Amino acid sequence: MPFEYLDHEADIGLEATGATLEETLRDGVRGLLALLVDPETVEPKEAVTIEASGEDPASLFVALLNAVLATVDLQRMFFRDFEVTRLERVDGHWVVEGRLYGEPIDLSRHAVEIEVKAATYGGLLGEQTDKGWRLRCVLDL
Amino acid sequence: MSTSLKIRKVHDYLFEIPPHGKMRVPARLYLDERSLRELVESQSSDEWNAVRQLENVACLPGIVKAAMAMADVHPGYGFPIGGVAAFDPKEGGVISVAGVGFDINCGVRCLRTHLTRSDIAGKEEKLADTLYEVIPAGLGSTGELKLSTKEIDRVLREGARYVVRLGYGREDDLEFVEEHGCLSDADPSVVSHTAKQRQMAQVGTLGSGNHYVEVQVVDQIYNARAAEAFGLEVGQIVVMLHTGSRALGHQIGTDYLPFLEKATKKYGIEVPDRELVCAPIESPEGQQYFRAVMAGANCAFANRQVLAHLVRQAFWKALRVPDTAIETLYEVAHNTVKWEVHEVDGERRRLLVHRKGSTRAFGPGRPELPERYRAVGQPVLVGGTMGTASYILVGTEQGMRETFGTALHGAGRAKSRRQAKRQYPADRIIEQLRKQGILVRAHGKASISEEAPGAYKDVEHVVEVMCNAGIVARVARLRPIVCLKG
Repeated sequence: MPFEYLDHEADIGLEATGATLEETLRDGVRGLLALLVDPETVEPKEAVTIEASGEDPASLFVALLNAVLATVDLQRMFFRDFEVTRLERVDGHWVVEGRLYGEPIDLSRHAVEIEVKAATYGGLLGEQTDKGWRLRCVLDL
Repeated sequence: MSTSLKIRKVHDYLFEIPPHGKMRVPARLYLDERSLRELVESQSSDEWNAVRQLENVACLPGIVKAAMAMADVHPGYGFPIGGVAAFDPKEGGVISVAGVGFDINCGVRCLRTHLTRSDIAGKEEKLADTLYEVIPAGLGSTGELKLSTKEIDRVLREGARYVVRLGYGREDDLEFVEEHGCLSDADPSVVSHTAKQRQMAQVGTLGSGNHYVEVQVVDQIYNARAAEAFGLEVGQIVVMLHTGSRALGHQIGTDYLPFLEKATKKYGIEVPDRELVCAPIESPEGQQYFRAVMAGANCAFANRQVLAHLVRQAFWKALRVPDTAIETLYEVAHNTVKWEVHEVDGERRRLLVHRKGSTRAFGPGRPELPERYRAVGQPVLVGGTMGTASYILVGTEQGMRETFGTALHGAGRAKSRRQAKRQYPADRIIEQLRKQGILVRAHGKASISEEAPGAYKDVEHVVEVMCNAGIVARVARLRPIVCLKG
């Protein structure tokens, strides 16, 4: 499964697995987007570029998820999908750049689910497995 | 779980885990045997286990006396929810993001009205619809107050006072808000532009998840003297609102997590969980985060002040109740970090107290309390669920001695959100509550099923445990009538 939600009493765990780090980051973001709003109700009309960095894949994952949450507020948009356009190590830091696809918030059409306050370092994991990558964190709801 | 073997019973409502491994102090849990067993056995995951989280907090530098958990304890991130920990700067004490959480200064305001149950009989639907219409709630909603970044800076510096000046509520509200709705150490210059920008349209919004506005009726009084001081009588209508610092607070947490991680390494602090990153309180990094948190806290004060005003507007619109008939009983937060003076082993010490999902619950005589309540103690606001009672309790001397004047903040979750979603379809919950005479309005269906009464512990039981432990005492029980969710 590209992403999976994990039971947590107060919040929710999000885990993404994939063959490459790019793919895993993408699927993690997809998992986050699907928590906020039913992606089927969002049209991918516009693209917004976002960037995040972290000292390792785990903190990169959290920073990327938080960049998505900030973008929802700053652009007042909901998103249906995400793709990674750049992933590299610069001066010992991981940097990811990607594009979110969505449209301005229209509460009459978009089926909102729940607000995610932030991605946290709780239950944090970023590991390379024999099948690829596994990223995990707790989202504060 | 191996931890259960090391737990020592102090008395019927308090258990202690003596320090082991890297723990500097014991971990203490205000629970009875039944709830301890449930907590230990029913953890959703070993990765986020409330008992282990409490033990981890006990490992942090400069922690004083014990890491403590209230009866509503459940897993959080880093700190357990329902936790309190105090740190001494003279002993290398730290400040931690996880001890405050991302929803900085999330809390509850209780409004006392001059109405009785019979005054709103037959008008509940209208009141529910009007609250739904007047109060922006749910993901993507925006407030009527659109602020520039300069004005946001004033919110961050002046808190609730600033929005009162803009016409949201009254000066006399502030007397009954913790810290009078404004923390003076706030510094907007250490809050990112992103945080401020995210907040521009969110002042005066409720949010979603466990945030709510609830119209309730006082159905029982337990302590006549305290009830009189708090202005409460059986049959009276009160309104509780629960929300926090919105996107601004969330972004401060987001910005400072990697910032404090660097500090943790710089000062060579060993943390058992990466979420527990922290900095010595007196280091430049610790001070900067503290000033940012104070700014976030002021934003939450302002937010609840605007929402209190909107509640008054809704009562006027629906029932023609004048705003003078709705007064602030009290407002107190449960995601905080504050300087407080406490007596520890006969010595008065200035400590930095982190409360994560636990409420300040000061006993009688404390100078921080409004004069009207000082002789009886601080009102402690405990939110139940949509279908169960909420409580107004009062802080005690014993609480001051044992828990740094801290008590529970709610019922505490028992089931995960995913379990609740599977088990409690929103439509069925709405119908069940309607049959119990409780009207629910919600913007997102997830807020209903995930917050279903069955997803929580029994509020009656958790309140009983804290009262039997002597940390708080009952004043009034409140029953829900109308509930607005995000």
